[in-house]
Amino acid sequence: MTSHLGLMSLFALLVSIVFATLMRDDPREQLRFGGKLLAGFVGLGVTAGWLLYLLPL
Amino acid sequence: MAEKTSTRQDAARRTPLTSSHVGSRLWVLLAAAWLVPGAGHLWLGRRQKGVTFLLTLPIMFAIGLSLNGRLFPFHPPEPLVALAALATVGMGLLNMLARLSGMGAGDVTAVTWEYGNAFMIVAGLLNMLVVLDAFDIAEGRK
Repeated sequence: MTSHLGLMSLFALLVSIVFATLMRDDPREQLRFGGKLLAGFVGLGVTAGWLLYLLPL
Repeated sequence: MAEKTSTRQDAARRTPLTSSHVGSRLWVLLAAAWLVPGAGHLWLGRRQKGVTFLLTLPIMFAIGLSLNGRLFPFHPPEPLVALAALATVGMGLLNMLARLSGMGAGDVTAVTWEYGNAFMIVAGLLNMLVVLDAFDIAEGRK
């Protein structure tokens, strides 16, 4: 897999798992917090990508 | 307040490192947590967290290697290279084994090179956070 979106999503998934496990004790809370982190990372990544795309070089 | 105190006491009860163990055993625990991701949490009885770290961080590091990322050398004249090397040291034993076996040479022409570096550097930094978390648990703060 060499697509930017795929690798960025995989990176975001792994970082979200570690952060959620570090910051929450209950597995259900870990899942909820990890999901929010993942959505935030991927959403911000895509948004930042589009914003940079609009900038002239 | 009383609830917070009892929570801390519960945590201390779950934690095998009591005050009599603090000292040299704490250093052994921290070394183990650094060498093998999640080992500190497993030692302290936090099985779910320990297994999660034990799986996630080496997978992240291995993905970085497979993406042609580079294990940077210590080269102080180039601060960013030296900092990247310092970050990957956080992966402990895996970093040493990868370096000794000649992996992590990296391929700057590979399209995934930057991603590979990011995976390995962040895996090392996250393991440093995991070691600090194990320290907090051992000290009874969590």
